[in-house]
Amino acid sequence: MLSQPLKRVHEIALGWFTPRTLPTTKRANAAANGIDLDMSLIWVVTLLLALGLLMVYSSSIASASEAKFTRGSASYFFARQSLFVVIGLVVALFVFDTSMKSWERVAPWLFAAAVLLLILVLIPGIGRVVNGARRWIPLGPFGFQPSEMMKIAMILFAARYAVSKFDVLHADQPLKQSLLRGLGPFILIALFVSVLLLREPDFGATFVVLSCGLLILFMAGLDYRLVVPVLVVGLLAASALVIFEPYRLERIFGFLDPWKQEFGKGYQLTQSLMAIGRGGIFGMGLGAGVSKHYYLPEAHTDFIFAVTAEELGLLGVVLVAASYGWITWRAFKIGREARMNEQHFSSLVAQGIGVLFGVQSMINIAVNMGVAPTKGLTLPLMSYGGSGMMASLVAISILLRIDWENRQLAKGYKV
Amino acid sequence: MTRAGNSPMIGQRRAKPTFAERFSGWRVQLVVFGLLAGFAVLVGRGVYLQVVQHDDLTKRGDARTLRDVTVPAHRGRILDREGAVLASSVPARGILAFPDQVEADEKQIASLAQILGQRTADVKKKLNSDRDVVYLARSVSTEKADAVKALKIPGLSLQNEFKREYPSQEVMGQVLGITNVDDIGQEGIELSQNEWLSGKHGARRVMIDRRGGVVEEQGSIRSPQQGRDLQLSLDSRVQHIAFRELKRGVEANRAKGGAAVVLDAKSGEILALVNYPTADPSDRSAAANGGLRNRAVADLFEPGSTMKPFTVATAIDTGVLKASEQIAMTGGQYTLTGATIRDSHSVGSGGYASVLEIVQKSSNVGTARIAERLPNELMSRYLQRAGFGRAPQTGFPGEAHGRLRAAQTWRPIEKATMSYGYGLSVNLVQLARAYTAFANRGSLVDVTLFKNGGVGRQARVYSPETTQIMLPMLERATHRDGTAPQSQVAGYRVAGKTGTAKKLTGATYVDGRYVASFVGLAPVSNPRYVIAVMIDEPSTGLFYGGQVAAPVFSQVMAQTLRLFEVPFDAPTPGVPGAETAVAAIVREGN
Repeated sequence: MLSQPLKRVHEIALGWFTPRTLPTTKRANAAANGIDLDMSLIWVVTLLLALGLLMVYSSSIASASEAKFTRGSASYFFARQSLFVVIGLVVALFVFDTSMKSWERVAPWLFAAAVLLLILVLIPGIGRVVNGARRWIPLGPFGFQPSEMMKIAMILFAARYAVSKFDVLHADQPLKQSLLRGLGPFILIALFVSVLLLREPDFGATFVVLSCGLLILFMAGLDYRLVVPVLVVGLLAASALVIFEPYRLERIFGFLDPWKQEFGKGYQLTQSLMAIGRGGIFGMGLGAGVSKHYYLPEAHTDFIFAVTAEELGLLGVVLVAASYGWITWRAFKIGREARMNEQHFSSLVAQGIGVLFGVQSMINIAVNMGVAPTKGLTLPLMSYGGSGMMASLVAISILLRIDWENRQLAKGYKV
Repeated sequence: MTRAGNSPMIGQRRAKPTFAERFSGWRVQLVVFGLLAGFAVLVGRGVYLQVVQHDDLTKRGDARTLRDVTVPAHRGRILDREGAVLASSVPARGILAFPDQVEADEKQIASLAQILGQRTADVKKKLNSDRDVVYLARSVSTEKADAVKALKIPGLSLQNEFKREYPSQEVMGQVLGITNVDDIGQEGIELSQNEWLSGKHGARRVMIDRRGGVVEEQGSIRSPQQGRDLQLSLDSRVQHIAFRELKRGVEANRAKGGAAVVLDAKSGEILALVNYPTADPSDRSAAANGGLRNRAVADLFEPGSTMKPFTVATAIDTGVLKASEQIAMTGGQYTLTGATIRDSHSVGSGGYASVLEIVQKSSNVGTARIAERLPNELMSRYLQRAGFGRAPQTGFPGEAHGRLRAAQTWRPIEKATMSYGYGLSVNLVQLARAYTAFANRGSLVDVTLFKNGGVGRQARVYSPETTQIMLPMLERATHRDGTAPQSQVAGYRVAGKTGTAKKLTGATYVDGRYVASFVGLAPVSNPRYVIAVMIDEPSTGLFYGGQVAAPVFSQVMAQTLRLFEVPFDAPTPGVPGAETAVAAIVREGN
């Protein structure tokens, strides 16, 4: 009934929960086969999930216990986030049970569905506006963010695109061909997605989705003659936006000197900086932070890192940064192993997931620390939010699936 | 994906190189190490923020999150001489709102307004203010504050305050004065003794959330110093007596107002100081309209005939007048450099009047003729010694000094009018104090509003012999044939002098507007109390001091003597013995 990988997970789980004083056959089996999962990745993800739940709780206690919509429940966000994690883990189990071949097959359809949802969310009446951005499709007491789904869809789509269009992407042919038949169609599709995301608007998701897609193409061997022009055109487009609408300049570069507008536009950032700085080396202690007492807006979502840095100090900062670094590193490592096994789609997906985690967590932390403009990106696995949690756990699950397939292939099994 | 079959051969052109062949490992490494380098940079930034800038950022943060909250010190109480509480500070709350953080629906605002006793529209207006913080109400009772708290409206905050309570209400109003919402004295004793009464606020440091709510106590910075209690010389009972009788007197005579002072003749302590109309210091609006003005201390009036005893006593004390002399009355009028002094009724007989008669029946002409004998400087010096022309220094703020012009500038007519109380001005306390000289064997006592243990500083004005002569004359003024028979007190010998002064309107004296007064002391055999009563503009047709002020004096004195169980010194009113004593003095010709 259960497919093979799920059986393994079941066995491993049984092995964990079986008292060590009473070794069972199953436990012995698990040991004999060797653990077929990247345990370091699982531990790091578990750590971030636990830390995230803790920080969501800590950073929202004050606001949740006094807000009206929570009915005064201090654990409102904590309870919901816990539920998101549980649902995410269940979904992840089924994702883990899905072969990469299936993913490769459905990638275009998944992508089309994500595009459709991105169009749907823009329709007033369907998409819900929160804080001036139309990003949510309401589903009962929860909201669904198509942009989070698009991140996964884009990785799968770009990986499949790169593998199937590989012939017309690389530099072994006239530039015209690689531009018009290789990069061109992808750029058009990516631009279309970008326009949809910017309509919400969601600059952060746009940046992450474009990074994942373009970097996958780049790593897949995009014609080197096109790399520089893409970069130049991108920079020119960004400059054009700034030049034609100068107000963006201040908005984008305001982060460089937030103290100038300490009580205006720089308010959130200065609060974040003070929170991080206040933490010092060892932090103020879990729950002892000040910034969450209404000083730091979005403390439990976009700025959860600042609260973590405030309460856990530099030690927490290093732990968190190292964890995301490790996830990124493992993703690329798994991708490399997949490449060794000639699993090129899996390889690019794994690397794309590496880019997803690397870029998104890095930008979020950079924003918190005042070294990148405020974008509205969450910290994967830690920030409060159901769609983001789901997307992150699905991505990790796909990564584990690729790793499992690698190990199976290495042992000579078919996947 | 299947494993590539053959490896490419050199020189052989293949139309379709496999993915694996074209795959470039350095691109992936560029990306992954780029990302890892990014994390390293972020950790570096973390070190910079959390180690290098730690102190600076913490300081900046503290500036927003730490507040020094004052720990209010309560203001000292004001007590009467028996220890009864006249003013005390009770805990109260100020209600603050941070308008941009307030979230309240219509119903909540309505109940808030109801609790505070304000109009809903007014409360809304405050809540919609664009100021950072506004006071919704101050000095609100703790019960009301708790009710406000129970509404659970975010953005409201309570602050600890004290509210001043005055149990004696309007009876003590003008003496005690008032404090402002910050518990700082604004008028009366509250103002003059602010330094003594007010405590020093302490401070404690708290961590607040952005809405101003306290998140964590960080400890005390300064502990508060509580204010000290202040004991006044006032006696609540006497004050109540004086207030009740003054009120009755002012109302019965349909007067504009009035004041009365009760002094302890020996110690100079003010036992009662009342005004009417008055105001309740708890009611700030009434107080703000000048209702708390202490007329007995702050307002001046021309005393009129109550000054005559000082002229006569000065003349006797300096030897220019003998008590047994007969003064020529010149037909009841006396002309000096164009102006004519008149008596309202004839005094004496056969064109002459005795000194006793001049005092007893209050003759302007007689007093002026006596004053004529006194050199300007001498008369001025005596008046100054009796406390005229300078503030009585009771410890009350805003004391009027009283006007006494320099002796060199007196013209004869001016000296004459001054001798019977025009052309100079006094306040009622000053006048009452001057009479302590007659009660204290010629010595003036310093008056005070503070309990002094029964001993006041004394200064000699007249010789004891002079007062021995003066007292019976003043006593005779209260007899049936004097100006103030209504000042008598059953069972006690009373001495005093009436005053009925026309009020100066602009530069002229007009008929119909009078200040009626009476200053007296009792018991004559051993004077204990000096009481001065002033009624401003009586309007029932009766306006003489003996008709208007003397009855008030009589009531206050009678009740005060009884209250302190002072032994009787006269078996019946209008004791004949007193007349005998006066007759003896006149006969002796001293």
